[in-house]
Amino acid sequence: MAEFSKQLERLEAIVRRLETEEVDLDEALKLFEEGVERLRVAREQLAQAELKVKKVLEIESPS
Amino acid sequence: MGQSLDLFAAASAEGAWTVGEVTRRARAVIEAGLPPLWVRGEITGFKAWRSGHWYFSLRDKSAQLRCVMFAKQNYMQPTPVDGMQVFVFARPSVYEEKGDFQLTVMELLSTDQGGLWKLAFEKAKAALTKDGLLDPARKRRLPPFPRRIAVVTSPDGAALRDIQAVVGRRWPVAELIIVPAQVQGAKAEASVCSALNRIGRLSVDIVVVARGGGSVEDLWAFNSERVARAVAAMPMPVISAIGHETDVTLCDLVADVRAPTPSAAAEAATPDRAEVMAQCVVLGQRLARALRIASRHVVERLDRTGDRLYRRMDHRLEQSRALLTAHSARLDALSPLRVLGRGYAVARDADGKVLKRVAQLPTGKEFHLRVSDGEVHGRVQ
Repeated sequence: MAEFSKQLERLEAIVRRLETEEVDLDEALKLFEEGVERLRVAREQLAQAELKVKKVLEIESPS
Repeated sequence: MGQSLDLFAAASAEGAWTVGEVTRRARAVIEAGLPPLWVRGEITGFKAWRSGHWYFSLRDKSAQLRCVMFAKQNYMQPTPVDGMQVFVFARPSVYEEKGDFQLTVMELLSTDQGGLWKLAFEKAKAALTKDGLLDPARKRRLPPFPRRIAVVTSPDGAALRDIQAVVGRRWPVAELIIVPAQVQGAKAEASVCSALNRIGRLSVDIVVVARGGGSVEDLWAFNSERVARAVAAMPMPVISAIGHETDVTLCDLVADVRAPTPSAAAEAATPDRAEVMAQCVVLGQRLARALRIASRHVVERLDRTGDRLYRRMDHRLEQSRALLTAHSARLDALSPLRVLGRGYAVARDADGKVLKRVAQLPTGKEFHLRVSDGEVHGRVQ
């Protein structure tokens, strides 16, 4: 799964581009669809309920 | 001469004490009569042996006292120097092998400049400052959405429980990596350094070094120059939460962010999931609005074309233009996806390019047709 901050950054870039540039309709549609997909993934990541906890043991340490 | 002989005769050999007997007796008398006590004096003749034991004397204007402070008592102490005024808490005794009256020191506090701690702290701080490690420009910003957060702390302390609870509540999106370390005692310094070392090789976004409050002695490992340098060398930002608000340790000073408590460190390390969720909702709304604006641009272009046509064509075209404007207004009000919902379809080729003209659709050409609820594939016959 892509990093959460990357999802959000890309989503913001898409929105800014649609807001500030004149984009062809087909390009706009493509961007919109990508934006919706990124939003879905980001919200799925946010919905993760359990914190994953891992312990690094001493023995794993190469001295 | 006769007198001497008499004296010698009076000292019966049978009644003589051995050296060991006297020293043993003296030791018993002193230990019984002088319980452990605080003594104030100036350090002189200080010597630290390889074994870790310290030997020195305490003196004032009229007398001196020999002292020993064993390694197991002094391991967390900064080293004193000759001439320093100190208080020691010590047990008076006799060291029988040498027949020395001496103090076995259990605690040593300096009266100079707020104590030995302060002295050692300032010395290490000066060394770190000289190397630029306390420069505020070195402080790094924390990543806004950390994926992996490493925690260096005691595996069974309250600090870890607090951090786990806060991160779990605010940002369970992250993974918490616990790197156990001893945070007090003789091995704390080496243990914390080794933990930091291990993290340096992991892919981690933020490191939290934490322990609950404690006395100055308890926090000593985090005032060691070695730990401070290990923190400064970390490739990722470090949040330090050592002790409490009043005691700033060297580790706190070197870290990128200092937090007053382990919970505060966990808050600093994480965004609030609810806030990020709200941010996503806003982005979704902007995305939809941006699409409507983008489609309006297309409509405006159509309008401009219509104007030119109108200027050149007869009034039949005027009717067309009126029609076009009407369509434009409707398009304006609706997003392209809604248009699809009303039965229109967008044809696109394999690359996603919209096919708008007959010339783009020769016989045999494959295309995708986007309708309101999905896509179908077709070929021109």
